[in-house]
Amino acid sequence: MSEETDQQQTQPAPSRRMVLALGAAAASTVVTIRPALAQTAGSVLNCQIPVPAPQAAGNYIAPDGSLVAPGTPGSFPPAPRALTGEEVKVMLRGGPSPAGIDSQSAQAYANYIRRLQAGMSGFTCYASLQMPR
Amino acid sequence: MAGPLYIADPEELVRAVELDGLTALFHVPSGMTHILAPPAPQILAALRGEGADAAELARRLSESFEIEGGEAEMEARLAELEAAGLVRRA
Amino acid sequence: MRHEFAVQVGPVGFRVGSEWRAPVASLQRLYEGYPPPEGGVADFSVRLEAERPWRRWMKPSVAIRGDYVLPDAAPLALAHGLLAAEMGMNLQMALGQKRYLLLHASAAERDGKCVLMTGASGSGKSTLAAMLGEHGWRFMGDEFALLDPETWLLHPFPRAISLKNRGIHAMEELVGPDRFGPWLKGTPKGTLRHLRPRQDAIARMGEPARPALILFPTYGADTAVRPVGAAEVFVRLTQASTNYVTLGERGFGALSHLVTEVPARAIDYPDGKAAMEAVEALWAELS
Repeated sequence: MSEETDQQQTQPAPSRRMVLALGAAAASTVVTIRPALAQTAGSVLNCQIPVPAPQAAGNYIAPDGSLVAPGTPGSFPPAPRALTGEEVKVMLRGGPSPAGIDSQSAQAYANYIRRLQAGMSGFTCYASLQMPR
Repeated sequence: MAGPLYIADPEELVRAVELDGLTALFHVPSGMTHILAPPAPQILAALRGEGADAAELARRLSESFEIEGGEAEMEARLAELEAAGLVRRA
Repeated sequence: MRHEFAVQVGPVGFRVGSEWRAPVASLQRLYEGYPPPEGGVADFSVRLEAERPWRRWMKPSVAIRGDYVLPDAAPLALAHGLLAAEMGMNLQMALGQKRYLLLHASAAERDGKCVLMTGASGSGKSTLAAMLGEHGWRFMGDEFALLDPETWLLHPFPRAISLKNRGIHAMEELVGPDRFGPWLKGTPKGTLRHLRPRQDAIARMGEPARPALILFPTYGADTAVRPVGAAEVFVRLTQASTNYVTLGERGFGALSHLVTEVPARAIDYPDGKAAMEAVEALWAELS
């Protein structure tokens, strides 16, 4: 703390108050700890994502990743095999499509994966790819 | 015009540990852990017991601190704490 | 199941059942000298099963199942059955362990105190712990460290050490061939070899130690040491724990005590020898 100066004071201050900066409106002062299961379990187990999930077997994949009736114009048939976590990571970054899959199908599959919700087959794998390693 | 009243849970319902300038806080009712940077811990302390709106909160804090920042910033801090479940509307 | 293997590792007993003989035979050789589960009862079960009934013989594909399963797990080839068993045991711990706070870290003990090393895959924490184990330290574990929320002591979990690439060669120079498992090539984790810990690590698997140093190692740069603030250590350790949230207030208490009492450093290192020197220097300074 600085020494008292002999500047004039209009009234004796009972104590020096510390400054409390509220921070910018857009600042973040509260960080909530999220469960790390997906990240750590993902590092102990190799995972895969079927497209579409077995629960949705028989559906085709629209370019935006939603599930549609088989044969819907512009839609893509199910992936010939489950995609590995590594393949999906590359796809989601815009990298080359997995072996045996053309780039347009790969785009649709990537969009399907981005829409996965908890409870659907492949979600845990997708979630583990999201966490920073 | 008074804004919404906010209130924080009593001290018995949180566990707080100081970690090099930040506060690690365990909120017993939710089981969640948060890391808080000033002014969040000071705001929580000021909201225990009796609810306050942003203006009243600023008055309470001014008793101990010289506040830097205005209403918009105070409301942003309150919104963060509300989103984390550490304060709620009284 | 047709073939069974059971083992005690630190405070945890495992049973591994398998439809094929080979993974169980590998486990028995790798875990030679380990005791069976305490009281004859396993805490967790792993089952290595055929993905589909006909995959038991045709291009055998091993699905990892057990008390706890992870959806979306990819099956492994039978040639990697040993790895499947190890992954299965890791999974039971990651999902089922509730008594101890589980940290994804390696550990080594000296004079009743221990160093904890944590970091991403490739940081070298497994190899570093293995090396310390060959240089006067007692190896405590390479995958999981078990923190007791009541005593704040770290409990050993000395499973077979999982070595990759460079780590394999580094340890082959220090250790005879009889402690190594088979070469596993082309696995989802690359090329692996397992290493059985030394006899003293196995014999003393029930002895906890007080954490005295936390390290965040990074392989690949010239030696450098940086302090790490307690808040950063806290957050990084929550991300390195699968059961922090499950343990609730006990977990918070154990972790906050750990980070406020124990100094932490980030170390960059270019090779094993430099790393060991850095660890010894920090230990002398801080423990």
